[in-house]
Amino acid sequence: MAKWGMVIDLEKCTGCQACTIACGMENSRLPGEHWQDVIFFQEGEYPNAEIKWFPRPCMHCENPSCVAVCPVRATYKAEDGQVLIDWERCIGCKYCMIACPYGVRFYTEEKATYGGPNMKDVFKSEDAHSWSPPWKMPQEDWKHGVGVQPHDVVSKCTFCFHRVSKAPKGTVDFDPQNPATREYTPACVVTCSPGARFFGDLSNPNSEVNRQIAYKNGVRLLDHLGNKPQVYYLTGEGGSVPATRSLKKI
Amino acid sequence: MATFAKSTEISSRVRSAANAWLVSCIIVGGISGAYMLYQLTSVGHAAFNTSSDGVNWGLPIATYVFFALTSSGLSMIASLAMVFGFKQFYPIVKRCIWLAIITLASGFAVLAFELGHPFRMLWAMPTGMQVASPMFWMGVFYTIDLVLLIIKFYLIMQDDWHSNLSKLIGVASFVAVILASGMLGLLFGSVAMRPMWFGSFTSIYYMLTAALCGAAAIVVTTYMAFDFDNRNMPDELRALAESDQLPKVFATLIGITLVMIVTRMWTGLWSNLDGLEGFHVLIRSPLFWIEFLLGLVLPFWMMLQPGMQVRMQPQMIAAFLVLGGMFINRYEFIVSGQVVPMFKGTWVNSLEPYFPSTTEWAMAIFGLAVALGGYAIGEKLFHLSATPNHTTQNKLAGAAA
Repeated sequence: MAKWGMVIDLEKCTGCQACTIACGMENSRLPGEHWQDVIFFQEGEYPNAEIKWFPRPCMHCENPSCVAVCPVRATYKAEDGQVLIDWERCIGCKYCMIACPYGVRFYTEEKATYGGPNMKDVFKSEDAHSWSPPWKMPQEDWKHGVGVQPHDVVSKCTFCFHRVSKAPKGTVDFDPQNPATREYTPACVVTCSPGARFFGDLSNPNSEVNRQIAYKNGVRLLDHLGNKPQVYYLTGEGGSVPATRSLKKI
Repeated sequence: MATFAKSTEISSRVRSAANAWLVSCIIVGGISGAYMLYQLTSVGHAAFNTSSDGVNWGLPIATYVFFALTSSGLSMIASLAMVFGFKQFYPIVKRCIWLAIITLASGFAVLAFELGHPFRMLWAMPTGMQVASPMFWMGVFYTIDLVLLIIKFYLIMQDDWHSNLSKLIGVASFVAVILASGMLGLLFGSVAMRPMWFGSFTSIYYMLTAALCGAAAIVVTTYMAFDFDNRNMPDELRALAESDQLPKVFATLIGITLVMIVTRMWTGLWSNLDGLEGFHVLIRSPLFWIEFLLGLVLPFWMMLQPGMQVRMQPQMIAAFLVLGGMFINRYEFIVSGQVVPMFKGTWVNSLEPYFPSTTEWAMAIFGLAVALGGYAIGEKLFHLSATPNHTTQNKLAGAAA
């Protein structure tokens, strides 16, 4: 049994948001429904102000509060550590969205986030799907929250469950440079041109993700809340993650 | 014979007042319900102004909480006579229990329209058995509460006020209602990532303010039943209405609520803890001051005045103000707890704006119409002013006639 985790090196991250686009294309997301987002924030005041950023996927917490609050066990912790949603059980109560400290969950039925046309109206679905995008991922697995979701449920990043779960048993590191593991690697990791993302098994002490966390002092977002994310950030000299949520709009 | 004649005359007045309320509620509920259903079927839940980026739970959830807690409070008030032996409260017991059933049903109705898949809940909750979820337990306790309320009402309809079974159901119902309202508080109080709600205080706050809403609701509806005229009331009920018993309970509950609101506000404004910025929004909101000054302080003052306690109009005004104030309170409690955004994205505001959509307003109005309409039906059909003595007297009068 693995414990999949991700490491994001903020010294390497350029804030290009290719991960956001790759995730959206891979998982057929609506515009604005960014399972993987890059958050820009300001540190310091003029004349010493700086713009910083950090990518924010689902943290797939060790102690996921979203799982504990779900009254119907629609959201659950999978065997290999991913936090997933069973769209056939979800009742759309949104309690998980309330309990998630990282804001990584999205309700399907909402007004369009952007000013443009509502894509759900433009590409209407004729069946149980909430919309019918012109291009959609070939995989569909509602039990694991993969594919275009039905109406009135909550959706979130799956750590690309449809890719990772097909990896050969015993895989520890998912290196996008390695042809043997590339197709099983999460889309955001594959697309990251500066190679700022690492994905692998946190339960294996020799994994690349553990080496990175140990060598470069990996930190977790809002660690004081005790959810113990399985996504670590390497802040190094240039990067940082905010200690609080009171972000100023920039 | 005289008693019987008076009783018949009162019954006809009660029925005509109930008829008027019922017709109004059918019209208002019909219009708001039709609009809500049209929006939900044509636009879906996108007709709400809630969003993943900001406020996830809006006015419909606040309406549900308001009704669920009012129902709990009414059960608590009924328990004064049924469990704790304060016999002077018998004249309002039956009305309290019927209203508790109806307000809870209204709350559930609003919640059902708010949820994405309400019917799925019926099988997914028992098969999931997620015992760590406060919402799971809230569902369990409120279901038990509703079943016990129905049994209790049935027993009273059978004129069974004092049997062992009746007492047992009364005690069980009181325990269920404490657990249900407390659990509803814990639903909010369990989530540390929403510091404006976090802590066991929320549970206590919900239980005590439930009692306040129950007290206010029973004052309003009792007068409503008798066309806002004490003279229409049966003797026992008029004696209660003209005494300072219920206003004293009412004033005590308003006082406790005021203390809780002020202390909560103090810690919220004083602390630098991340996420408590919502308290600064709250104190700048005119709604909060309407709730605090008009909805609580003024009625508290009124119910402390010996001259006002025993008069119908001040009691009515105080109860109306408290109900309005507590509706705002539920709304502000829920919305202000979510105004500090989570990590949603660069474009996220420092604090989230939220104003309910027309559909959300229609849902709240629909819930209110269902509650008042259901109450009027009860008034027409079930003789809600019955008491152990009154029922016996009626029977004697009937036999004599």
